[in-house]
Amino acid sequence: MTFSAGFLEVLVYGSIAWCAISVIGLGVTLVPDIARGETW
Amino acid sequence: MTKTQALLDPTLGWVLLAAFSVLWVGLGIYWGRRNKNFEDHALAGRNIGLALGSATAAATWITSNTTMLAPQFALQLGIWGMLAYSTASFGLLLFAPMAGRIRSLMPNGYTSGDFFRLRYGRVAWGIFLVFTLFYSLTWLVSMAMAGGILLNALSGISYAWGMSVILGVCVLYTMRGGLAAVIGTDFIQSMIILAGIVIVGIAVLSQVPVAEIHANLTAERPALLDVLFPAAIMAIFNNLLFGLGEVFHNNVWWSRAFAFRKGVAGKAFALGGLIWFPVPIAAGFIALASGALNVPVPASDMVGPLVVATVLGKAGAIGIFVIVFCSLASSIDSLLAATSDLLTEDVYRRMIKPAATPDRLKTVAQWVTLGLGVFTWAVCLPRIGTLATVLFFAGPLVGAMIWPIVTGLYWRSATTTGAIGGMLLGAAAGLACYFLIGWYTGALVATAVSMVWVVACARFSAARFDWAKLKESS
Repeated sequence: MTFSAGFLEVLVYGSIAWCAISVIGLGVTLVPDIARGETW
Repeated sequence: MTKTQALLDPTLGWVLLAAFSVLWVGLGIYWGRRNKNFEDHALAGRNIGLALGSATAAATWITSNTTMLAPQFALQLGIWGMLAYSTASFGLLLFAPMAGRIRSLMPNGYTSGDFFRLRYGRVAWGIFLVFTLFYSLTWLVSMAMAGGILLNALSGISYAWGMSVILGVCVLYTMRGGLAAVIGTDFIQSMIILAGIVIVGIAVLSQVPVAEIHANLTAERPALLDVLFPAAIMAIFNNLLFGLGEVFHNNVWWSRAFAFRKGVAGKAFALGGLIWFPVPIAAGFIALASGALNVPVPASDMVGPLVVATVLGKAGAIGIFVIVFCSLASSIDSLLAATSDLLTEDVYRRMIKPAATPDRLKTVAQWVTLGLGVFTWAVCLPRIGTLATVLFFAGPLVGAMIWPIVTGLYWRSATTTGAIGGMLLGAAAGLACYFLIGWYTGALVATAVSMVWVVACARFSAARFDWAKLKESS
C-alpha cells in the first residue's frame, strides 16, 4: 500500500501554503502589538 | 557530512556572512540599551507580546537540522520521514497549556531549575541541573559545529572561520541584548526562513509537478511512498518523545514562558507549534523531487541545497545560505541565553552569591554568555566529528524528565521520591536499552520507566504540595 499522488499533492501544497500564511500572520499579529505599544 | 563542491563562491559567502553579522550585532546592541537589570536581560522585562512570542517559539525550534536534515529524512524515509519530523511540533503544542500554568504558578520564576528547587528540593534540583546542562551544552556544541560544517559546504568558507564567526556573532548580540535581542532577531529570522521555504517550494514545483515526483518515486524508489515503512514509523515515536522531553525540561522554553506577557504564553506556544508543523514537510519534499529533476545526490545530507541550487541557480544557493545561517543563529542565541540564565540563577545566585544585586546578576549573565561561547568554541575547533550520536545519547536523560515535570506542575500528590527515582531509574533503563538494543529505544524506555515510578509514588503518597510555595519572591 502506497501514499497516492493526491495525498502527496495535498501534503506539499498544503505545507507551502501553511508557511506562507504563517509569514503573513506573524506580520499581521505584530501590527496591533506595535500600535498598542505592547511589542515587549 | 560527505564532501561536495561548494555551491557559492567564498567571497560571496563572506559578504553575506558579514552583512548578517553586522545586522544581528547592531540590533542586539540597540535592543540591549533598555536592559537595566537581570530581569530585563534574562526575561526581556516579562513583557513579550503574541507576535514576537509565537515567532521565537517557532524560530528557536527551526534549527539547521530542520532545514538540512528534513530533506535527508525525506530522501531516506520518504513521506513518513517528513511527517515523523513534523511531530516534533507536538512538543510546542503540548507545552502551550503548561506554559500558561508555569506563568501563573511562578510569577517571579526565572528558570526551569527554579521549578525543580521549589517543587522537589535540592537533590532533585541537582540531578536536573546535571541532566539539563549536559543536554544544553551538547546541543550548543553540535549547533556551532554544524554552523562551521554547513558554511564550509555551502560557500567554501573554512570550518574554523565559519564556526568562529557564527558563534562569535551570536555571543556578541546575546551578551549585549539578552533575551530581548534573541527574541527580536528570532522574529526577523523566522520571517526569512518561512519566506525562503515558500519561495524555494514554489520554484521547485514550477519545474516539476507533484504528479511527476510521485510517478518517479513509484518507478525508482517505491519504499519512500510505502504506508507501512517500519523504520519511518519507528522514527515517529523517537522524534515525538525527544521533542516532548526537550521542550518540557529545557530552560530555552521555560525562560520564554516566564518572559511572555501574562495571558500570552499559552497562545504563543500553540501558534509557534502550528507555524513549525509544516516546515519539515515544505523543506523536506524538495529531496523527493531530486529524482524527477535528475539531480545527482552524492551526499544525502546535501540533497536540499543541491536541488535548490539546480532549480534556482546562484539565487537559490544564496537563499539556502541565508536560511541555514538564520536557522543556526536562531537556535545558538537561544541556547546561549537560556544556559547562561540557568548558570547565573541556579548556580551563581542560589549556590554562590544569594545576596547579589540585580545589576550584578546582569553583569554575571553577560560574562557567563561569553564564557559559554569560549568553551563551545574550544570544544568545536578541533572538529572532533559529529555530535549527533551524543545528542541521541542525551535522549534517555531528556525522556526521564518528562513525567516529573508534568506531574509536578499538575498533581499536588507528585513527590520528591517520585521525581528523583523517575529521573535516575528512567535514565538508567533508557541508557541500558540505548546500548543493548538501539538508539531508537532510549527515550521511549526512559519515559516509560520514569512514568511508572513517578505515577506509582504519587498514587501511594499522602502528601499534598502547596502551590503557593512556587510563588517565591524575587
